[in-house]
Amino acid sequence: MDFALIHNLGIGFGVALSLQNLMYCFFGVLLGTLIGVLPGIGPLATIAMLLPVTFNLSPISALIMLAGIYYGAQYGGSTTAILVNIPGEASSVITCLDGYQMARQGRAGPALAIAAMGSFFAGCVATVVIALFAPPLAEVALKFGPAEYFSLMVLGLVGATVLARGSLVKAIAMTILGLLMGLVGTDVNSGIARFAFGLSELSDGIGFVIVAMGLFGFAEIIINLEQGASREVFVNKVTGLMPTWKDLKSSSGAILRGTAIGSMLGILPGGGALLSSFAAYTLEKKIGDPSNFGKGEIRGVAAPESANNAGAQTSFIPLLTLGIPSNPVMALMIGAMMIQGIAPGPQVMTERPELFWGMITSMWIGNLLLVILNLPLIGMWVKLLTVPYRLLYPSIVLFCCVGVYSLSNQPFDVMLTAVYGLLGYIFVKLECEPAPLILGFILGPLMEENLRRAMLLSRGDPSVFFTKPISGVLLGAAILLLLITLAPAVRKTREEAFVE
Amino acid sequence: MQIRNGRDFWAGLMFMGFGLWFMVVSQNYPMGSAVRMGPAYFPTVLGGMLAVLGAMVFFRAFVSKFAHPLKVFTFRPLLLVAAIVVGGATYFYFAESQLKGAPMLQILQSALAGLSLFLFIGAFGPRSMFLILLGVVIFGYALKPLGLVLATVILIVISALAGHDFRKKEIVILAVILALFGVLVFVKGLGLPFNLWPGE
Repeated sequence: MDFALIHNLGIGFGVALSLQNLMYCFFGVLLGTLIGVLPGIGPLATIAMLLPVTFNLSPISALIMLAGIYYGAQYGGSTTAILVNIPGEASSVITCLDGYQMARQGRAGPALAIAAMGSFFAGCVATVVIALFAPPLAEVALKFGPAEYFSLMVLGLVGATVLARGSLVKAIAMTILGLLMGLVGTDVNSGIARFAFGLSELSDGIGFVIVAMGLFGFAEIIINLEQGASREVFVNKVTGLMPTWKDLKSSSGAILRGTAIGSMLGILPGGGALLSSFAAYTLEKKIGDPSNFGKGEIRGVAAPESANNAGAQTSFIPLLTLGIPSNPVMALMIGAMMIQGIAPGPQVMTERPELFWGMITSMWIGNLLLVILNLPLIGMWVKLLTVPYRLLYPSIVLFCCVGVYSLSNQPFDVMLTAVYGLLGYIFVKLECEPAPLILGFILGPLMEENLRRAMLLSRGDPSVFFTKPISGVLLGAAILLLLITLAPAVRKTREEAFVE
Repeated sequence: MQIRNGRDFWAGLMFMGFGLWFMVVSQNYPMGSAVRMGPAYFPTVLGGMLAVLGAMVFFRAFVSKFAHPLKVFTFRPLLLVAAIVVGGATYFYFAESQLKGAPMLQILQSALAGLSLFLFIGAFGPRSMFLILLGVVIFGYALKPLGLVLATVILIVISALAGHDFRKKEIVILAVILALFGVLVFVKGLGLPFNLWPGE
């Protein structure tokens, strides 16, 4: 371990351990868990809803709090998955399989405890991974020109479409639709307000929070209401929290393997929590006796929970070093950074080391707080689950509305969110996954800008994207990824994996 | 030719519609060249790609191995037509110059635009969606004139009506609690600049 790392982490802890930031981290984790535990609200909607809370904070406090909200929401999502069998988001779908079965057998306590322990261990490892890998990656990224950035974004978008559920063509179409929607508003080069219907409200573009809240917040509520949520909550069965010795022994290996898989897959563009948890579960099934899986096997909770936390955290690496979000939650973090006046990218580490390292160390602290907070408070979260949905959803709608309105105090924003709610409903009904759209939406203007610059520098010669070595490799990887996905064998497994 | 997969059918139409729309609107802006791309360049290319992908999804609907009925969700074409008529009339009838210094005309224009929006939302999907989004839009426009307390109560009541069982007493209590929460947390705590009552 080199000296610079320790020095950097020292800076980070200095920032993160200040009383004020510690408090924001605590509030973030608490609020994140509180909202995340509510069924049917994933981390994305939670962060979008709580974003306005951070507007008045200093940038570092805001980011620390948002990161805390993210872990909290993620952890809250697994609690819901185990107790109610409703995944808060795609990455806890896997946890439902065995976690819910454990709850039905009266072993909800150990399942929750193992999920918390696995997440904490994974969080510790992932923090170190970020601290080790981010600086060299940022150094490479500093050499990136517009062509490299463009190719990197193509790779990221391809990654996101490949991992989206359902049809690949639809996922690509959704990405492009997102890119186009991102272009609405004033064009930087010419000053022309594009696709704005002459409305002054649209000349600054469509707010990211508006799209996210409409597509993920409102649309989810509408779908839930339409389906008439019926659910069985295992509230009284959460007794002893402590896992038995046997549980610990059999899950420790699963936690280690899950952490390793998650840390690696989280770095990939388009990767993150979802892919990690799927991969970890599949591996566990391959390793040991598969007959217990789906019937309350504790390893089936430990591995994906560790993996999704590790993946969630290492997916910050592309965000912090390249300024490219690898999944929708990271796209929201970029939105939050921009609101705070920080342009994400490799320069953040050199220009604002206290911000960068403070955020990384606060991730570790956030994970620690999660364990301290959640294990004793589990009773309270469980109580929250018994609040009927008919009281819950009007409150969620209200918080979403207040959140959107407070962005710029314009009724128009709220109306636009309603329109995106309608679109979100239609997307779900037509089996068009909205996640790639969100990524495209954030990357749209960036991609156009870098494409323009690259073409200007190469005097209109598009071959520059392939002849520049880094750019060529990135584009090649994107094409390869697409081809692999289209290969019949992979296509079949992909369909099966998402059906499961 | 028979439509096998209704979801692909409509999704294909939707993507083609969006793609063509972005392409057509782009033509109002300068195209530029590959070296110096104008504001129309990137959206035209993307719009074209989207339209092609949409066409692929559309034609797949006829050969798909997954069968799905054509009726994906409730759709009321009459309302959609009405929304387009009202919206189009509002958009083209009121000239910018005419509206200046004519408050009554402005109010009329806003009301018609709102009507068009609600007709549009009402054209798709279940009743619960219409009610929730109705509540949301009303909240947005009522927050300034009516204040946070009344806007909250309106939103809670309308969105609660979207549920399966509406219990009057419960909703009243919920609305009061949330209004109080909003005043204490959003306005007093977080310092959001909302007025609490009408005309403040």
